[in-house]
Amino acid sequence: MQASELLYKLDCFFKNKMTRRGFLKICLGGLALFVSQNAFLKKAFAKSVSSSGRKKKKVRTAYDIVVAEGKDPAANVRAAITAIGGIERFVSPGDTVVIKPNIGWDRTPEQAANTDPEVVAAVVELAYRAKAKRVNVFDITCNNEKLCYESSGIAKAAREKGAFVYFADNWNVVKASFPYKSPMEGWPVLRDAVECDTFINIPVLKHHMLAGLTMGMKNLMGVCSGTRGLIHVDLGRKLVDLTDFIDPDLTIIDATRVLVRHGPSGGNIEDVEHMNKVIVSAEPVLADVFCAALMGRSPSDIPNLREAAKMGYGRTDISTASIKKIEV
Amino acid sequence: MSIFPENKMVILRRVSQVFFLCAFMYVLWSTTYPLTGSIPSDVFFVSDPHIVLLTAVAERMILPGTAVVLAMLFFTFIFGRFFCGWICPLGAAMDISSFFNKRKVLLKEKVNARIRKIKYFVLGISSIAAVLGVQIAWATDPVVMTARFISLSFIPAATLFLDRSFMFLVRDVGFYGKVYDIYRTLKSSVLGINAYFFGNTGMIVIFFAGIVLSAFFVSRLWCRTFCPLGAMYGLISKHSLLVRKASGCVSCGKCMTACRMESIKNPGDSYTKSECVLCMDCVYACPGEYTKFTFRDPFRSSVNNNPTNPTNSINSTNPKGLSRKDFILLLISSLFLSAFRWRKRNGSRASVTRPPGALRETEFVARCVRCGNCMKVCPTNVVQPAVLEAGLEGIWTPKMMFEIGYCEYNCTLCGQVCPTGALKKMPLKEKQKTPLGKAVVRKDRCLPWSRNENCLVCEEHCPVPDKAIKIDIINSGGIMIQRPVVDRELCIGCGICQNKCPVRPSRAIEVIT
Repeated sequence: MQASELLYKLDCFFKNKMTRRGFLKICLGGLALFVSQNAFLKKAFAKSVSSSGRKKKKVRTAYDIVVAEGKDPAANVRAAITAIGGIERFVSPGDTVVIKPNIGWDRTPEQAANTDPEVVAAVVELAYRAKAKRVNVFDITCNNEKLCYESSGIAKAAREKGAFVYFADNWNVVKASFPYKSPMEGWPVLRDAVECDTFINIPVLKHHMLAGLTMGMKNLMGVCSGTRGLIHVDLGRKLVDLTDFIDPDLTIIDATRVLVRHGPSGGNIEDVEHMNKVIVSAEPVLADVFCAALMGRSPSDIPNLREAAKMGYGRTDISTASIKKIEV
Repeated sequence: MSIFPENKMVILRRVSQVFFLCAFMYVLWSTTYPLTGSIPSDVFFVSDPHIVLLTAVAERMILPGTAVVLAMLFFTFIFGRFFCGWICPLGAAMDISSFFNKRKVLLKEKVNARIRKIKYFVLGISSIAAVLGVQIAWATDPVVMTARFISLSFIPAATLFLDRSFMFLVRDVGFYGKVYDIYRTLKSSVLGINAYFFGNTGMIVIFFAGIVLSAFFVSRLWCRTFCPLGAMYGLISKHSLLVRKASGCVSCGKCMTACRMESIKNPGDSYTKSECVLCMDCVYACPGEYTKFTFRDPFRSSVNNNPTNPTNSINSTNPKGLSRKDFILLLISSLFLSAFRWRKRNGSRASVTRPPGALRETEFVARCVRCGNCMKVCPTNVVQPAVLEAGLEGIWTPKMMFEIGYCEYNCTLCGQVCPTGALKKMPLKEKQKTPLGKAVVRKDRCLPWSRNENCLVCEEHCPVPDKAIKIDIINSGGIMIQRPVVDRELCIGCGICQNKCPVRPSRAIEVIT
């Protein structure tokens, strides 16, 4: 191409002399740019869309299960965690910690449908004491997010201790992938729950019609996006796979107030029993088995525990566990 | 008027317009959970005489905003149509649109005189309808129309745009750090948790955009022609105390082209007073300080206050008032109201689910002004505008769409923001006992009933403390299948079961009325 020709073309461009061929070229170029930009950006910057899950930290604990009983829930938490070996075993300095309480329902703490805010606040405080870089608190709620976060008192209590409390975004997810065949394959799970250093699961112990009781494993449903109702079909198997995927480092079951009927949303004060206990364990299945026993239910009544026993996931035999009981 | 130089009043007017437009948007924007806005969310509606008086007449009752409305009418008697020029959000939007067109189109005086009449017809028809017990003020009222546009189209679009921009920046460009934190903070404060969306808002947008665009070509065309609120204020401002005087006029005619309502047709004192919106353009355009607004003697009749020049009297365009021909035309055009009365013979049951605290259907339709407050405030987005599902008279009334949301058990916001009481203000205890309908299980679709698979999502979500969904347990090949059964005594029809049911395309549990 001659220099003069190029100059002429440039001249045409600036003088707005558009040829038909030039117009078509610009159109096609624009279209190609439009199509490729999204793909390009995603390739260049975006994070991976699928994940094979977390791996929990290898931690030796002093006991398998610690139960603290006392009037003050926060003191229970502190005593139980100290007894199991201290929060430093689970949270290293500079860690990003995810605390996943149950904030599912637009209910007050007295109605016992959500985790006690004092328990959550105590754990946040402990995590920061272990020099965590950042503590994230979130849940995908069943009722409206704003109402749940406020009524449960968790947002306020955790923010006071410096935690980041936010509404989870259903688009910031990874697709779960498993090394074995799983009904949860491809399920969208919150990225923040997977990409963290420490995952602390703080469920509340309460009644549930389908699952018998909701405890640690059922609480993990709160990090699943998508049509969560479908998890209820073949619930046991899906919860076991989900627990394997998230692999929580620490499970702190809040049994301060326990909803014994009309769960999981409750609403009647008469349905709430004050047990004033906090159960801490590094093994999610074992913690659930212990709580089921605490409520006088056999693990075979609970679909996820039944399935875990069948698949050999985790420990379901409570007789082999070392249990420490503390009075605070 | 001497506190501020009169030829600078136009600046004050512009500030006032922008202020009230922003205030209007702020009030509507803050009409959301937890309703902590310092201004009550229905303030602009209860101070609108067209809405309040016509609804009151149609319903034969006194509405809460009556005192404010009487104050507005009193001030209109003193100042004239100050609302139209200084406050009206639709007027401000139209002025902004005509600001971008420097080449103003002036209509012929004959055309102007004709089109001005139309708004009195619009007001007349709504008034006759109100006397007959039908409230159609919602269709043409400028405040309500703007509110509908802002609440149901503008704010959702703006939040959606912001939300998607952040989503793009975070997910596709990879700003997971500070940008994401800002987004999360915004979400729990300004931006709101969800980008809400409302169906069937196309007509609302077209209406609003049409009016604002018309002002681009002919300034304030809607105000001159159709606005019934302007007509109402115009009827009073005909006799208002503040009048325009042009002493020592040099007949340059600048005010005639400057006037956005084209109410000045000859140089000098003469103008159509009921058209003047006190925009102060004529004072600003006047080459000397000839044009002034002064108060007339309140004890002398306004029509004869210029006895030296009777032909130039203030109401020169329409000295006779309503002619016989116009009156007959008005009566004939009111016949189309029969369309609104027609469906009432079908009984008083709504063909859609109404929000909690709704009055009986006939009263509800007459009382509802379609301001969109209940739809804007609902935290779950369940309240949606109806098109023709509720009949011709039910256009844009609120209906519940349980596929989109559900009625939050501990929430009474929609009743709190309703300006006319079409949705009752109820204490929480009463609202929790007010049924919207009753749920029924579609046994042919429900997973436990039709396929023997455990599901029970509906029972889990049921907010009634004693659970309005009970369980029927059967043994299917060694597996206990729990099947949901609705307790009709306890069910309040909140629709959360329908909303959360995982069965598609139509849900396996539905609320029916």
